[in-house]
Formats: sequence, structure tokens, C-alpha cells
Amino acid sequence: MNLTTFIVKRVLAAVPLLLGISVILFGVLHLAPGGPLDVYADIPGVSHEALENIKRELGLDQPLPVQYVKWLGAAARGQWGYSIRTGRPVAKDIRERMPATFLLGGTAFLLALAAALPLGILSAVRQYSVLDYTFTFLSFIGFSMPIFWLALMLQSLFAVHWQLLPSAGMYTIGDGGLADRLKHLALPASILSVAYMASWGRFTRASMLDVFGLDYIRTARAKGLGEREVIYRHALRNALVPVITIVALDFAGMISGAVITETIFAWPGMGRLFIESMNGRDYPVLMALLMIGSFALVAINLITDIVYSMVDARIRYD
Amino acid sequence: MQGLRRFVSRTIWSLCLVIPLAGMAAAQERGGTLTVALNYDLDTLDPYASGFLTDVQATFLAGLVAPDHDAQYVPVLAQEVPTLENGGIVLSEDGSKMTVTYHLRPGVKWADGEPVTSADVVFTWEAIKDPNYLGPEKDGTAEIERIETPDDLTAVIYYDGVYSGFKASLFTYGVLPKHALEGKDLNKDPYWDAPFGAGPFMVTEFSRGQHVIVERNPYYFETDANGVQLPYLDRIVFKIIPDSNTQTTQLRSGEVGFAYNVPYTSLATLRNTPNLEIISAKTLAFRHVTFNLRNELLADLAVRQAFAHAIDRTTLNRALGDYMLPIDTFVVSTFAYASDDVPTYGYDPELARQLLLDAGYAPGRDGVMEKDGKRLSFDFMTQAGRAEYETAQQVLIAQLKAIGIELKPDNKAGAALSEARRNGGFDVWYSGWITPADPIDSYVSFYATNGFNNGGAYSNPAADAALYAAAGSLDPEEVEARMHEAQQIVLSDLPSIPLFETPSIVVTTNKLQGFVSNPTNQTNFRQVAPWWLAK
Amino acid sequence: MTERPVQDPRTLLGEALKRFRRHKLAVASLALLVLLSLAALLAPYLTPYTFDGQDVALLGMPTPPSLAHPMGTDHLGRDNATRVLYGARVSLLVGLLSALIATLVGTIVGALAGFYGGLTDNLLMRATDVVLSIPLLPLVIVLSGFLRPNLYLLVLIIGVLGWMGTARLVRSQFLSLRGRDFVEASRALGSSGIRIMFLHMLPNALGPILVSTTLSVGGAILLESALSFFGFGVQPPTPTWGNLLNSSRDWLDIAPWIATFPGLFILVTVLAVNFLGDGLRDAFDPRL
Repeated sequence: MNLTTFIVKRVLAAVPLLLGISVILFGVLHLAPGGPLDVYADIPGVSHEALENIKRELGLDQPLPVQYVKWLGAAARGQWGYSIRTGRPVAKDIRERMPATFLLGGTAFLLALAAALPLGILSAVRQYSVLDYTFTFLSFIGFSMPIFWLALMLQSLFAVHWQLLPSAGMYTIGDGGLADRLKHLALPASILSVAYMASWGRFTRASMLDVFGLDYIRTARAKGLGEREVIYRHALRNALVPVITIVALDFAGMISGAVITETIFAWPGMGRLFIESMNGRDYPVLMALLMIGSFALVAINLITDIVYSMVDARIRYD
Repeated sequence: MQGLRRFVSRTIWSLCLVIPLAGMAAAQERGGTLTVALNYDLDTLDPYASGFLTDVQATFLAGLVAPDHDAQYVPVLAQEVPTLENGGIVLSEDGSKMTVTYHLRPGVKWADGEPVTSADVVFTWEAIKDPNYLGPEKDGTAEIERIETPDDLTAVIYYDGVYSGFKASLFTYGVLPKHALEGKDLNKDPYWDAPFGAGPFMVTEFSRGQHVIVERNPYYFETDANGVQLPYLDRIVFKIIPDSNTQTTQLRSGEVGFAYNVPYTSLATLRNTPNLEIISAKTLAFRHVTFNLRNELLADLAVRQAFAHAIDRTTLNRALGDYMLPIDTFVVSTFAYASDDVPTYGYDPELARQLLLDAGYAPGRDGVMEKDGKRLSFDFMTQAGRAEYETAQQVLIAQLKAIGIELKPDNKAGAALSEARRNGGFDVWYSGWITPADPIDSYVSFYATNGFNNGGAYSNPAADAALYAAAGSLDPEEVEARMHEAQQIVLSDLPSIPLFETPSIVVTTNKLQGFVSNPTNQTNFRQVAPWWLAK
Repeated sequence: MTERPVQDPRTLLGEALKRFRRHKLAVASLALLVLLSLAALLAPYLTPYTFDGQDVALLGMPTPPSLAHPMGTDHLGRDNATRVLYGARVSLLVGLLSALIATLVGTIVGALAGFYGGLTDNLLMRATDVVLSIPLLPLVIVLSGFLRPNLYLLVLIIGVLGWMGTARLVRSQFLSLRGRDFVEASRALGSSGIRIMFLHMLPNALGPILVSTTLSVGGAILLESALSFFGFGVQPPTPTWGNLLNSSRDWLDIAPWIATFPGLFILVTVLAVNFLGDGLRDAFDPRL
């Protein structure tokens, strides 16, 4: 079996996976008690007739399987329907929020990488040193940290108490210069990066230690190559492959982290759109966001699989 | 005709106790930008479809009439408020129907320069009434049989009955521009991305999740006493800030110059901030404890009276920030027919216990009163996730425990709450109501036998008669007499205990002048045109 | 997975215990967790206050920490320390129970897949992939936001969505055990599949399962507190660390200590759980 067949096979296998995901999500969203028209439940002046009209228009009066098939057909053609809350195309609502999430997530990822890689490598190189122990301890704190609490505490210190940084938002209306935007980005991005930093750092360390145990590194060392060269030319390149996988998967799961950080810092991205849509029972938007999140995970998994099979000869195409 | 326009559960409205006098001393200055904090995530700028109050919409849409700071209707696009006396309202010969005539102000233009005509009034009615239009706020459309437009400035509206509350609905929210919307799909038209109307401002930017910017409408009709065209402000920026801590921080730093419904938890900090004014603004909202009379123990008047005497409004108020105004009736003080001649139930735990003992109850082993093996233990519902309600609930639980009544929290939200509230899925319920400027239809919905908000199944034919008579009358004296009667009956029967009138805390920069708050669902921004900023 | 000689589980346990004792942080963490659980259980005897007892004299404003109230009081005059202690009950319970549910489901799925292989394996693992491909936090928020769960339904939701890791782990263990002599022997003796799976194979996989259960306790505590923090989890007046943090937000400005303590407790507890898991991993899997 050659590489192309392998890729085709894997891509085809992703289709039933995505279908399964969409069935589960659709079921979860529509079997819940109440309905998307809950938003209007607190306005008793809304007539029964008006609600029935909305239901019919949105297709909510049809049996669930019919609704699903219709949704699937439309989604496959790239039509995600209209938001119940805003009356605008779902795709438009989401597209507007995407850049903010990518900006926040991307910055957090760069921060996390910049700290995690050197620390993880150093820790592995100096295994059992004070630095290694300190780093290990700190990374345990990092992934045991309730992020929302950290956010709350830092927000309270930096924004409320010391008034050094803005407490929320993406930029000051009427300013929006680079410095202004960076100031707004500082708190949420650093907080979002904490968990990634801890987990990637640990992972880098473990991966490096694994590689150090491999024969060819021992051979390289035995050949008398300088320690620097062994580490950076030989070990690092191989150790980074699994690290990149984790980073890629975390990137696909960005929306989970974004939900918390964006809500606390009123960051106008997809995570906050998700919470708003939750509160407004905006099924089409929720469905689309969850599908996008799942699709990203499936796609990244697929890509890493394929990349692995290309770079790592040890995996055969079976 | 229409019920409650909106509930407290979404946002409370505000109004003015304090009418700033500063504006009269200095000459008004034109210009400047006011930044306003919106504490909810605005969904749409369509006032008939939004799930929130119409703060932003009130700045760019103008109605025919609107309620002012005293909840009295004043003309806006109409030349005067139609009444029986001025001939604006004409009853049919048998008194079963009415016709309302509006004369539009001449020379009024939309923000794009086109003239406002009676055809726009007809268009608005038809567009909102259209079953294909999905906005749920269709109040006041169904009762209209037809609208005639004898000329460009006259709209004659034929109703299928007599409705004292006709002003509170359709044409107050705003007349829509026919020329911009005719033939378009009102549900989805891009018009709503940057809508305009005949109000003092027009939307120039709606950045979802972040802000709405409205700028001066160059064609706005209103002028001040010196003939200067309103509004004074150049621009209002509505910043979407759902988090109260952020709102407080931005008020302190001056990034926000106006916020309302400020939670009392923020006041301690804000009071110490120079350059801020804190105003306790009256609203049409009140808080109440309502009983489900289907519960056989609560059907006993003595138990309800004991309940009422066990509540210490002073302590409860302190827990809620000490800014509520205790009331004894369900009609808030803004309305002339609020009665002070009703039975009152002062805090008296001894009396409360005695009432229960006299009714045959005795303390059980756990201290809870019981009779014939039935304990005075009830499910106590309030809206889940609403800090003020949950706080009040917990204080009330403690107060009732003191006289031997056990309340078990059973909080709900969303559809479950609405369902329980309307169909009696509670024993005892703490909540708030907010009525429109014409509140009688709301009272009917709370206390009449078939009222759609009467989840506690209260029924007294005498109360029904008084309430319906008040709702169907256009004569203020008759309304007052009937409303006094209704309050007397309801407060004697005690299906519900009114607790507080609920002001809204408004915090503004001390540069803001001319602000007069509005207690109704038309929001503070209904009268935004004369606001101005001192330099 | 490299081949490992099958040992008598008892010796294995003894050696594991020895190795575990060498992991000082893990031992200390275990002690801390036991202490915390005891304190939570005995809460009524440890504090003179009740979790919903209001001090009318203090009503209206939170008070800072003092001798009578080491963590201060909240705006209803309730003792914060007492509420944090009672909150520990819920948080620990949710953490433990949902981790157990996750382990149970995961073990059954993984065992079936690993033991029977073929179509069963394929179907179960595809199902695992499906659930694993949905972003967890948003899915849990949707479920608990729509269902407004009570405590036990919440435990179920968190547990049922957390089994995939265990399933994969158990499957790989079973796959490697499947061909071993003792399994073949039991099969030849006519033991039923269930019997072989749970009596003979499972004990050999217990170590890694225990480690993953422990680690998922930490995850579950974090998830519950995040949910309650957003108002989608356990509803007041039942205090949990998450909803205590939620209600502290209103007072962040003037009474930051209300937010400080529940958060610290979450951090320290989850940290201890993670150290414990690390210690257990060292104990049961000495190669790492």
C-alpha cells in the first residue's frame, strides 16, 4: 500500500467519524428540554401564534430526523442557517468572531511555546538538577491551576487594584493602536498560555529523555560528538515530533480554552459567542461552533497521522 | 391588549428621582461623545425581535408617542397624545370599539432626509403583523382592524375593541422607514446592521459583542428653547460589558460615562470615586412573594398572613444593599392610583407564630410547625443564577424558619422557570415584576382568575370585576376608584405579598447634564436628545 | 508495549507500595487529601457555624478575615471557612464519583474491545474516537446548561464524558495480555469470556487503571468548578468551590479574600491529586 492510498483511506475514514459526531451533537442540542424559543419564554406578551410561526419558519415543528437530514444537507453545502438570536447567517456571525479567537489563541500559543520548549529541553538535559525539580513542580501547579480563578485573581490585581492593564475588551474604542491592543492582549493571553506551557514543557522534557535513551544518541555520544551538537542536532529534531503533535491537537481544541478566558475578559471571540449562544439557546450557532471544534480535532488528528507516516518510517501503512 | 412588555428578569429599567438642575444654570454645549455601558450582550438592533430592552433602539427609532419620566405619555412624531377630550379617540356608538387618530408633526424627516408620512405608520403595522416576520413582539398589532391615511400626516387607526393600554405597544417602540424596508425581508435585511429611523441618532457601527456607535441624526426634528437643533451630543458609544467588575473598573477609570442597573455590590467602590454621580432612579419594578393556592396548606389565609408578618423588610433590604423602597401594595408609587388604604402586614414574628398556633399548628420535633401530621414545609422557587434573587431567597428562608416555616430552595431558569411560573410549579415564589407605563393589563394578568401570569391560581370574582372594569375604562376617575377597590381585595386575600419597589442605580460622569431617567420599558434613552456634556 | 512477565499481583502490590513510599510528595499529598476528606466529612463538628447560618449583625457587606471568621464572612454574614469546608464535600464527591464512573465505563469498553478484538473492537474504538473528537468543555457546558442537573446528574455527565482515555488504556493492556499463557489456559479450561476478562486479565491491568482514575479525579474537580463558576453546575445555596468563586465575583473589588480561598483549595487539592497520581505511576510503572 502506498502513501496516496493510505491518505485516501484515512480521509474516507474521517467521514463516518464526522457523521457520528454530528448525530450526537444534533441529538444533544435538540433533545434537551425547552427549546430555542426559550429566549422569548420570559416575554408573556409574545403570542402563542407568533411562537408557532417562528417554529414553522425555523423548521422546529418537524420530526427530529427530518430536521437532522435537512441540517446535514444544508451544512454540506456550506449553509449553516440563521442565528435565532441575531437573525443573521450563522457563518457570518462566526466569521466575525474568528479573528479575535485566533489572535488571543495564537498569542497564547507563541508565549507558551517560547517558554515551554527551552524549559523542557533544559530540564531534560539537566535531569535531577534543582532547575529540573523547580520546573517540574511549577508545571504541576500549572496544570492543576483553575484557570478561571487565576484569571480572576490577576484581573483583580492588575486591572482593579493597580490599574496597570485594561480589565476587558480587545481595544479601546477610538484608540486601537498597537500599544493599546497589546495591553488588552497581555492578561488574557498570558493566562491562557499557562496550562499549555505546563503541559508542553512536561511533554518536551519527557520526549527529550526518551530520545536520550535511544541507541543512536548513545552512539553519537560515544563517537565523541560535543554535547551541544548531540542535543540540538540529533536529539531535539526527533524529540520535537511528538511535541508538535500535542501542540497541534491543543490548537484544534483552542475553543475549549477560549470559552473561559474570553468570557472573563469580555474578548469578542468564538468562546464568548458560544456562551452567549448558550444563554440565548441559539441552536444553529451552538451546533456550528461545536461542529467546527470537532472538525478541527478530526482534521488535525488526520494531518498528524499522515505527517507521522511520512516522517517516521517505523509506522507502516496498514 | 398587551401584557407585560418585558420582565424584570431581563433587565430592570430605570428612572428619575433626581432631576439634575445643573443644566439650567449653564448654557448647554453641543458636541462630545458619551460612552454607555450595556450590561447584556445585545442580540439585534430590531426592537421587535430583541430579547432585551431597547436602550440602543430608543436612540435611533422614534414612536408616535412615548412615556416620559413620570410614565406619562407625551407626543413624539405625533402632534399630541390622542385622548377622548381632544377627539383623538372616538368610541363607536355602542361603546364597543374605538378609533384613534394621530396627526403627525409636519416636516419631520428620516435620518436619510426622506419625509416621515402616515404611510410609514401603516407600513410598520403591516410589517410587524405579517406572520412571516418572526420578531415575537407583536403586541398591539392584532387588535387593529385597519389603518386609514386620509393624508400624508394623518393616520386613523380602527380597533376591534376598547383598549386603555393602546399607547404602550406597537407605535411606541418606533415607526420604521417604509422606503428603506418595503419589499425586503424584515427578519434578515442588512438594514439592521446599521439601522436608522426618525430618532435623534443613527447607528453607524454595530460591532457584535463589542459596541454600537450611534451618531447625530442631521435631520432630527426637535430643537431646544433657543432653536438649537437637538441632540446636543455628537455620538454615543454603547460598550457591551456584561461583567459588573469590568463595568465598575471602567466607570472608575472614566472609560465609561454612563451605566444603569449598577449592582449594589459595586457601590461601595464607586461612592469613593470623584467625578461620578450616583442616582437612585425610580422604576416601575417591584418585588413580591407569591403563593400557590393549590397547595392546601397555603390556601389557608392564616398561614399566608403569618408568612407576611414574619418578613422583616428592613433586614432583607439591608442584605440587598439598602436601596429598595418597601411597599404595601402592588401598584408602585409612580402611579396616581397607588392606594395607601390597604391592609398592611408589619414585621411581627410573635404575631406570626400566634396566628399559626391559633390556626391549630404546633411546633414539631424539628421546630417546624405542623397540624394533623402536615408540616409547614414548602418548595421555594426563584430564578437560578440571579444574585439578587438568590440573596433575598436565602434571607427569607432564615426569616421564615424563625416562626417555624421551612422553605426549601427549588430554583429554576429559562423554560423551566417560565413553565413553573405560569402553571404553578412552585409552592412559594420570590420574583420581580415590571409593568409598562399602562400597567392595568399587567395587573389583570397577575391577579385575575384567568390571568396568564396568575400561576398561583388566585381567584376572586370581586377582584376580577374591579380589574377588568379598570382595564376597559378610558376615564381616569373610574380607573382610580376601581384600582383602589382591586388593591383592597387583593391585599386582604393576600395571594402575593408585595415587598419592595425597586429603583435602578444609575451612575454617570458628573459632566453629564440634562439627564432625566425614565422608569418605563422605553429605557432612559427614550429622552436622550437633550443630554449634554459639560467641558 | 513491551512484554512483561506476569507476576503474582500480591508481590506486585508490595513492590509498588515500597516504590510509592519513596515518592515523598505523593505520600504527603495522600495525607493531605485524607485530611481534607476527613475535615469535609466532619465539617459539622469542626465549625461552630452552619453553612447557611446568617449573622444578621454582619448582613449587607462582607467582612474581612478575623479570629472568629478566619476567612471572613460573605454578604449574608455567613462564615466563609464553613462554606469552603462544606464546599469540599461536593467538590471531592463530584471528583471521586465521576472519576469512578469514567473508570467503570472506560474499563468495560476497553476490556471488551481488547478481549474480543475484530468488529467489537472496531465499533467500540470508533465510538471512542467520536466522543474524543468533540471539544469536552463546550459539550459539558451544553449538557449541564440545558439539563440544569442536580448533583448526581452532574456527576454522571462528567463521568460519562471522561471514559475514553481509560478505554484506550485498558484496551492496549488487554491486547498485550490476550496472547499470554494464563489466558490461553483459562480459555482451554472452558472459562467464560467475562470470567477471563474480569477475574484473570483485569487484575494485571489494575495499576495503570488506578493511575488514570486518580488523575481523572483532578480533572473532574476542575471541570465541576469551571461549570459551577459559569453558573451551569451545582446551584446555590449548596456551596461548592466553583459556585463560591462565582458569587465572589461581585465582591472582587472590595472583598478579594472571598475569591482567594475557594480557588486556593481547588488548586491545592488538584495539585495533591496530580502528585498522588504521579507517585502511583512511579509505583506501578517503574520504567517511567
